[in-house]
Amino acid sequence: MTTTISNLHAETRRHFFANAGFSIGGLGLASLLSDGQLFAAPSSDPRATNPLAPRDGHFTPKAKRVIYLFMAGGPSHLELYDDKPKLQELDGQVIPESYVKGKRFAFLKKDAKLLGTKRKFVNRGDCGTRMSECLPHIGSIADDLCLIRSMKTEVFNHGPAKLYMNTGFERFMGRPSMGAWVTYGIGSEADDLPGFVVLNSGPRGPRGGTPLWASGFLPTTYQGVPLLNGADPILNLSNPKGIDYQRQKEFISAVTDLNRQRLEQVGDPEIATRIAAYEMAYRMQSSAPELTDLSGETKETLDAYNIQDVSKPTFARNCLLARRLIERGTRFVQLYHTDWDHHGNPGTDLGKALDARCQEVDQSSAALVKDLKQRGLLEDTLVIWGGEFGRTPQGEPRDLIGRDHHIDGFSLWLAGGGVKGGQTVGATDELGYYAVDTPVHVHDLQATVLHLLGLDHLKLTYRFQGRDFRLTDIGGNVVDQILA
Amino acid sequence: MSRCDSAGQKQGSDMCRLSVVLQLVCVAAVGACLPAETSADDSVVDFRTQIKPILQKYCVSCHGPDETESGFRLDFGSLLLRGGDRGAAVVPGKSAESLLYKVLISDGEVARMPEGQPPLDKSQIELIQKWIDQGAKGGAEDAPSNDGRPGSDHWAFQPILRPALPRVSRSEWCQNEIDRFVLARLDAEKLAPSGEADRATLIRRLSLDLTGVLPAPDDIADFQADQSPNAYERLVDRLLASPRYGERWGRHWLDIARYADSNGFTIDGPRSIWPYRDWVIQAINENKPFDEFVIEQLAGDLLPKATRDQIVATGFHRNTLINQEGGTDQEQFRVESIVDRINTTGAAFLGITIGCAQCHVHKYDPFTQREYYQLFALFNNCDEPNLPLPTDEQAASQARVKKELAELDKQLKEHDAALSAGQTDWEKSQLELPVAEWTLLKPTEAASEAGATLNMIDESSILVGGNGNVPAQDVFSVTAGVPDGLSGSITAVRLEALNNPLLPMKGPGWADNGNFVLSEFELSVSDGQAAGTAAAEKPQNIEFAQALTDWQQDGYPVEQTIDGNLKTGWAINGTKQSSPNVSREAIFVLKQPLKITEGTTLTFKLRHAQNSKYLIGSFRLSATNTALPDGDGARLVSTRIREILDVAADKRDDGQKELVVAAYGRSDLSRKPLEARQTKLKAEETELASAIPTTMILRERTTNSRQTHIMIRGNFLAEGALVEPNVPAVLPPLSATESPPNRLDFARWLFEPEHPLTSRVTINRFWQRFFGLGLVETENDFGTQGERPSHPELLDWLASEFMRLDWDVKALHRLIVTSATYRQSSAMRPELLKRDPRNRLLARQSRVRLEAEGVRDVALSASGLLSQKMLGPGVYPPQPKGIYVVTQVAKQWPESKGDDRYRRGLYTYFWRSSPYPMLPTFDAPDSNGTCTRRNRSNTPLQALTLANDASFIEFARGMSDRLLAAGEMSDADRIRLAFRAALSREPASAELERLTPFVASQRSYYELNEDAASEVASPNRPAKMSAAESATWTVFARILLNLDEFITRE
Repeated sequence: MTTTISNLHAETRRHFFANAGFSIGGLGLASLLSDGQLFAAPSSDPRATNPLAPRDGHFTPKAKRVIYLFMAGGPSHLELYDDKPKLQELDGQVIPESYVKGKRFAFLKKDAKLLGTKRKFVNRGDCGTRMSECLPHIGSIADDLCLIRSMKTEVFNHGPAKLYMNTGFERFMGRPSMGAWVTYGIGSEADDLPGFVVLNSGPRGPRGGTPLWASGFLPTTYQGVPLLNGADPILNLSNPKGIDYQRQKEFISAVTDLNRQRLEQVGDPEIATRIAAYEMAYRMQSSAPELTDLSGETKETLDAYNIQDVSKPTFARNCLLARRLIERGTRFVQLYHTDWDHHGNPGTDLGKALDARCQEVDQSSAALVKDLKQRGLLEDTLVIWGGEFGRTPQGEPRDLIGRDHHIDGFSLWLAGGGVKGGQTVGATDELGYYAVDTPVHVHDLQATVLHLLGLDHLKLTYRFQGRDFRLTDIGGNVVDQILA
Repeated sequence: MSRCDSAGQKQGSDMCRLSVVLQLVCVAAVGACLPAETSADDSVVDFRTQIKPILQKYCVSCHGPDETESGFRLDFGSLLLRGGDRGAAVVPGKSAESLLYKVLISDGEVARMPEGQPPLDKSQIELIQKWIDQGAKGGAEDAPSNDGRPGSDHWAFQPILRPALPRVSRSEWCQNEIDRFVLARLDAEKLAPSGEADRATLIRRLSLDLTGVLPAPDDIADFQADQSPNAYERLVDRLLASPRYGERWGRHWLDIARYADSNGFTIDGPRSIWPYRDWVIQAINENKPFDEFVIEQLAGDLLPKATRDQIVATGFHRNTLINQEGGTDQEQFRVESIVDRINTTGAAFLGITIGCAQCHVHKYDPFTQREYYQLFALFNNCDEPNLPLPTDEQAASQARVKKELAELDKQLKEHDAALSAGQTDWEKSQLELPVAEWTLLKPTEAASEAGATLNMIDESSILVGGNGNVPAQDVFSVTAGVPDGLSGSITAVRLEALNNPLLPMKGPGWADNGNFVLSEFELSVSDGQAAGTAAAEKPQNIEFAQALTDWQQDGYPVEQTIDGNLKTGWAINGTKQSSPNVSREAIFVLKQPLKITEGTTLTFKLRHAQNSKYLIGSFRLSATNTALPDGDGARLVSTRIREILDVAADKRDDGQKELVVAAYGRSDLSRKPLEARQTKLKAEETELASAIPTTMILRERTTNSRQTHIMIRGNFLAEGALVEPNVPAVLPPLSATESPPNRLDFARWLFEPEHPLTSRVTINRFWQRFFGLGLVETENDFGTQGERPSHPELLDWLASEFMRLDWDVKALHRLIVTSATYRQSSAMRPELLKRDPRNRLLARQSRVRLEAEGVRDVALSASGLLSQKMLGPGVYPPQPKGIYVVTQVAKQWPESKGDDRYRRGLYTYFWRSSPYPMLPTFDAPDSNGTCTRRNRSNTPLQALTLANDASFIEFARGMSDRLLAAGEMSDADRIRLAFRAALSREPASAELERLTPFVASQRSYYELNEDAASEVASPNRPAKMSAAESATWTVFARILLNLDEFITRE
């Protein structure tokens, strides 16, 4: 490449401002690329030369990057993380009315009967956190985990709940996702891979789809890029036949020059974004195949992650790819693994179906944390594991054992950068129904994640349609107990 | 007797804390006792003086005009009697059945009111009880003057008035009324409009906006040379008349209609509704007035003497998702689809977020939950059939076949009646025939071609599969020697399909219902004595004279296993008197008896080539040397039938009788020709039907009309009060109709002259398509949470003009694109970048990236490959592999050949769960819900698509062919030609300077690298052009197709 992204942007800016007769001091490219209010002086904004350039947040961060293992469908806290002897005791009885008055469920009736879990709980780690036998490997890293047992959300259908967890809003598609907010706030350290990458696995595609990793009203540079599970990690990544590396370079260079001439003429900042997109695409062409080539990984590593076949699009493989992505500077990696929606029909029950899901993620999730730790990356990498909601203490009257969606109390864990490990935060009541001790609302979690990354959720805003929007909408408090 | 005693008081507030039912708040401690005589005597209670004051004091703060909990108001007697979301509150004459009374005495069944407050005084409750028991008199007369209709001073709900044209600074700039409003606003902001764009930009802009394809270079030249004063207007008229206009604007409408070619959710099966898509394109090309356009789509089936086209139009609301997952509650998903219809109707025509009121009163806009379900009721009375669309010729053929089949059916019945008389004689004759004695074969080898496991479960029997993972189709080969004790000649072999508890339904087949289809049964023999000879290496195929069975399914006769056709076969379902899941036999009589010699080896092939997993699950084989008669006169029966015949006719059970009757029927050879003709006609009938396209439509129910209840909190299982169809009260009322209002009344109501929304919302969306943003930026929310219009008077003027023009869409589009506002340059001006970066003030045009389909369409039109073919089923342009990795069910994608490969983007088959990848990459909507405005993102993935996708390389090749077909010329001239073709303009000198050396360097590379050249070059390049030259211009064309400008409407 003859031009790097930064000097390209610098040139773009110079040409543009010279031709349009603007003074640089008055108005930077930053304000063309976004009219955000995060950083005071536009001329010193690193985004003026590269919208994804790494930059400081509001204060010193504890974590520099995030790997979010999203368990789509709503894993059951009652089978996995939240031991409730009282629920066992009341198994088969109708839930006391005081719990369900005025409550809505996706499928349950109000007189549904309580369902004790069939799963055994054991003490894990030096901290002795009780966790289910379903997750022995995650149990083995209990001393690194901060297990939140008092999560709360607002909406009980998957689509809205996943949007809520990811964007802070439940109804409106078109809001920025957490990964978009983070890369908008502090950029990315990768200059040849996207700053925000999404990996999918599991029997179904993520049913909320692209809105879950959208940039919403933020510039599109910040939206998540899905990496495909397969030989070609990104569609159309390879050059066409007969066009080699040098020819492709000449092609990109010519497109860039012509786009730049157009930008000088019409002054539309979208052209600058397109120039950057072509630059990034070109670099991704060599870096993405290198990223997904696992031949350099040792057999021990592959075994540790439970990767049996590197060509198979598994959660295990995605965990290893997540490590490789953050090693290469990607800021926010999100893994979606589907089919945790255990209502109790064949294939969606808390027996075999839950076993299958646990087998798919348990070892790999733990291996990722251990691997990061061993490489010294865990101290400034935040790992999040959880779904969009939990599951009801009542059973569902279906063919097999299952539970309905539950929003008033569920579990989720954090590990790594800035998180105090070996502890539990909060608790649900004796039935595992309501979060009663230290409830952690979705907006609180989001505020805490941003805090760990050095961002004040109240200040990370973007003006849109006359209002300053933020990830946490009008809520959110940093949960001090989570912090190391 | 009042039960509101002290114990009842104690349980009070806790019980009611979480309640969502009627909430009556007691604002003051109970104290006032009513005079004793009023509760003791039988004087008539007066509503106005005795009841209303109690309600006012204790109830109305929660159930009044300000807060209307549970959709229930008690501030007027008439409203009290009307009831709330939970239904009637008062049953006149029956206090015990009246919710109002029940909540006051609360026995624990319902939450007690007033919520969180002490109960009413005993005497007050008795008074209300008495009033109800006396017939609740005087309530109905106490009605509000406006029947409780809410008012609203929100701008969008006010009538559309035609504003006067404002004074402006430069009237000579204005082309039409639009410009007066825009300029007046700019004057106020002290900004000047931008100058008119140059003609090359204008013709490209107009072509893209009105037709979605590029102007031809000749048309550009003509327009630039046209000195006549109305050159621009004539160009507009020509483009509006182009059939491409209907495709361009049809696609916009299909976004709103959430059109797709599959059902959605995880199964996402295919659907046929493209005739609706074609209807949209044609209606727009015909310039069907917008009111008719919408009325036909919402209620075409209800129009008097509805035409087929008008019924096809109702496909608009059939574009909802269908969940084909097993175990779904069909009613739940029917309700879901109506919810979607209301949300779509709200966003598309009314610009309101009515969906918010599905579960509760709208938080911001004046819509109640009751009103939501009144709209719901309008859409709740449809059936959802498919409509076949035969041509006249097809319809005639169908009628003929139907008639012939009926005649044949009659003949067959007559034939059977005559036949059954002969059954006894037939049975007697059968008993005289020899009975075959069977010897089981012991297989020495059993192999599967597709990978099923074949396990011996005893000496003779084979079990297929094991753990459920059997191949979809398979061929089993079984080899066996001749067992001891069998000598002489083999006359027949027998295949028995056996039950096994490990098979679905115990088998004998692997299909879910235990059935199978055996396509072909083959036997070959090798002679041990001739080992080592050619004959031994090439086993001899044995021919069969006939096949017999104890049971065969209609359409799957056992003879089809020896007809040499893999598309036919033997299956065993269809018994009516006994279970189909029993062992069955097929006997194959050899044409020539096979002489047994020492070492004779028999090899059987069981071919299964139909359906999925329709394999025989367990089986064994036998042979016989019994001499069997041949010839038509001695129709044999299978051994098992013969065993039944040995049972006296009156001792046979129903199952056995059924088998014998069927066997007798099979023996009747005279029936065959009739059957053959019937089979042929039925095949013809099926073929005819499958050739006739269908489309999905709405059809109003005339019987079994559905009633609509409020769904408490939106839960379809929680039935609230019954509601009648109606429209929200804040909007003008429906015109009175004789019967309850229906969809047609609703559709016509949208176009009432006093309707404040339909026209505003529609012209705003038109505006958005022409300027990138609407005058109301929140194009789907004109409610109080939406943005206010940037130019309120312009919005209203256009809305009134649209109605004045009788909803003439082309006329309105013409008005907009001929305005000076539209014709402005889109270049950014420094002061505007600071004052108005998002161009709300319209001091310039906006640069807008093309929509996904538009990106494909301009590349096709620049390449010269664009197919002019219109309409018809969806097509399958080439797509990268691996698209279906994440979908639950792999999708069909039979890559299109010929013209269909180069159709416009809107004809691409759209699978909701896995769309053609370039479409979502460029922000095409997912079609799961209505989309009134698309995102315009700008990403590296788009760059990769344009740069590397095989389709776009094909387009670049096409463009190089087009450039080279122009004959000899300098590189610079060819570059100029390319710019005119792709960008509709001449290249600037800087661009020529950049690209001329590029072309030269690519040429020298490809001349030296022939292999690379032939990979890049177009196979269709003009004769005599070298591969290197074609490759050079292909990589050059690729640059133009990747420019920001190329995919942007400037």
